[in-house]
Amino acid sequence: MRILKTGSVFTATILLIIASPSHAEDELPIPTDDYIYCTVCHGVQLMGNSVIKAPRLSDMESWYVERQLQAFKKGWRGTHDDDKAGIEMQPMAATLSNEQIAEATSFVTKTRSELPVSTVRGGIPRGRHHYTSCVACHGDEGQGNEALGGPALTGVNDWYLITQLQNYKNGIRGAHPDDSFGNQMRAAAQILADDEAIDDVVSYIATFGND
Amino acid sequence: MNTNNLSRRRFLELVGAAGGSTAVYQTSRAMGLLEDTGPVAKLDLQNASGKNVAILGAGIAGLTVAYELERAGYDVTILEASHRIGGRNMTLRHGDLIDEMGNNRICNFDDEPDLFFNPGPARIPGHHHRILHYCKKLGVELQIKANYARHAYTHESGRFGGKPVRKSDYFADANGFISELLYKAVDKNRFDEPLSEEDRERMMKFATQLGDLQPDGTYHGSVRAGYKSGGFIKQGVHKSPMDFSALLNSHHWETAYESIANPEWAEPLMEAVGGMDNISRGFARNIRSPIVTNAQVQSIRNTDAGVEVIYNHSGKRKKLSADWCFNSIPSHFMVGIPNNFSKDYNACFAGVQPGNFFKIGLQMKERFWEREGIYGGITHTDQRINQVWYPSHGIHKQKGVMLGAYAFGAEESGFFERMSPEDRIKFAGACGNNLHKGYSDYIEAGVSVPWGRMNHMMGCSIAWTPETREKYYKRMRAPEGRHYMIGDQISYHPTWQEGAFASAEYALLDLDKRVRAASAVTRKG
Repeated sequence: MRILKTGSVFTATILLIIASPSHAEDELPIPTDDYIYCTVCHGVQLMGNSVIKAPRLSDMESWYVERQLQAFKKGWRGTHDDDKAGIEMQPMAATLSNEQIAEATSFVTKTRSELPVSTVRGGIPRGRHHYTSCVACHGDEGQGNEALGGPALTGVNDWYLITQLQNYKNGIRGAHPDDSFGNQMRAAAQILADDEAIDDVVSYIATFGND
Repeated sequence: MNTNNLSRRRFLELVGAAGGSTAVYQTSRAMGLLEDTGPVAKLDLQNASGKNVAILGAGIAGLTVAYELERAGYDVTILEASHRIGGRNMTLRHGDLIDEMGNNRICNFDDEPDLFFNPGPARIPGHHHRILHYCKKLGVELQIKANYARHAYTHESGRFGGKPVRKSDYFADANGFISELLYKAVDKNRFDEPLSEEDRERMMKFATQLGDLQPDGTYHGSVRAGYKSGGFIKQGVHKSPMDFSALLNSHHWETAYESIANPEWAEPLMEAVGGMDNISRGFARNIRSPIVTNAQVQSIRNTDAGVEVIYNHSGKRKKLSADWCFNSIPSHFMVGIPNNFSKDYNACFAGVQPGNFFKIGLQMKERFWEREGIYGGITHTDQRINQVWYPSHGIHKQKGVMLGAYAFGAEESGFFERMSPEDRIKFAGACGNNLHKGYSDYIEAGVSVPWGRMNHMMGCSIAWTPETREKYYKRMRAPEGRHYMIGDQISYHPTWQEGAFASAEYALLDLDKRVRAASAVTRKG
């Protein structure tokens, strides 16, 4: 019986290693008390939670995570009445000092979780066409461009990209006068004529890294 | 043996052979063949010494499963993500932490045993057999909680001149007017099928009783609304009835009769003496198994031999291997916890939305409501605070804790969630001023609990809809391998403690059915 048990644990470990080859479960970061809050909504290893509408954060660039925490803290994000999920995030960031924002960012960038599954079914060829105007800031493979302030788009839940594009388009995000990167993106989102165009471009983004 | 091929009847025979008629009764209940509103199932669980059980969540359902299984010889470990046991079975007293996301704070009530607030479940109806059974078993003292008080008010901003109206006035006059109409209709006997002379007489007597009518069948006010003056030394004078069309024009009747006729709200209800959390404390006193708080689950995996749970505790990653797992983690968190469950099981978690409730508790420096003749009960208002509750305990003491707001659902709870904790209390005070003169001046301390914003909660059970019930409920209630979802979320009584007890009972009976079936097979070789 004992041998059997050990055997199954061993098998499970192997399966885990196969699932994420570069990170054994033992190497995953453990949040300190202050940052367990992040995992309550964003899930274990910040894998994302579609029901709570908290996106996957692992793999986000540290400079982008820090910038967004500051944007929430300053009330540039999460203060519009129609931004239900943002409103839930805003008071969390508001409690953080600059030092804590740096600590939280460090935790976020150490987390490892599986890539999200795609949920959107838009027109990929049309999406590729729309994406030509995104390339400069976000890279031709969605890899991001720090110099221009455009974050990576890979590894982010597609439902989250859709919500954010809608928010930008409708002035729910990127409308604060001091949020210059947000202002840029808000203007850029206007090229997407409707929800269908948003679905298309996000469907195209979801193909990155899936060769 | 493949149990899928067994007919229901054949299966019951098999279980009967292994465990006697008690087992058949319990199993019938687990299979949904017996009513689940009757007496509590006699849990005569087959002893299973040496088997390990992992329980996720130390709320009512988890504690119930732990209590029963350790008595049946199982080795039980309870993991709880938050700093305390009880889940939404919570009582706030002086110095308690209110762990709201982004707004955690300490309850500032006076340090007095009568000054507490139940921000979660606060009422126990007499037909909730399971919770009453466990209260009795655990020695949790109960007392009557007046849920309805005739002297409390109904208040609508645009009706009755915006003034609160005593429920006694409302019901006396509403019943009086309706009875008068009934009396007249019967008197003239204008029905499709006219009543017999005998029935007519009986019906008119009935109407007279129902509405306290005059001998001629007219309504001119009733003592049921209270006296306008006198009644003790001097002869009592009835109040004049309200205007009938004003009464019809109010919206109170939309909820008024339901609130006194629905058994879940009909008086008398009960509450735990000294705070509802005495139930979870009662369990804690009677459970030997370790309850590990601040233990956050990182993954759940079914294996061939059982269930493996990885959790974080004190900065370390730990593993718990068990033969069975009972999981009361809110279903909306399961979407963010790695597991190896089947696609259709995980689809349930992704397919349902969390419910939401919001409550405010106010410490009042004087029990001013008692001067208005109100002892317990609820005032209903169309303001966003919705309800105001007067405590049924601590009568005639100096201070008391009232419920100052009770918002239902995501939209109404969200309205309060977005305010700062201080603003919520101010808002509740301003609304209260429309119900009682100088209400806000009595507020000394206040707590607010938005379940949709509480750490490790982010919601309050599942907001089931007819569609999600149809699509996901049975699948979520059924085990996945050796893993069971439990809690009030897996019941037709979400947010009621009885739902959590019922879910625990259901899962335990299902487990026992499997254990007995397996041992029957072993014995037959």
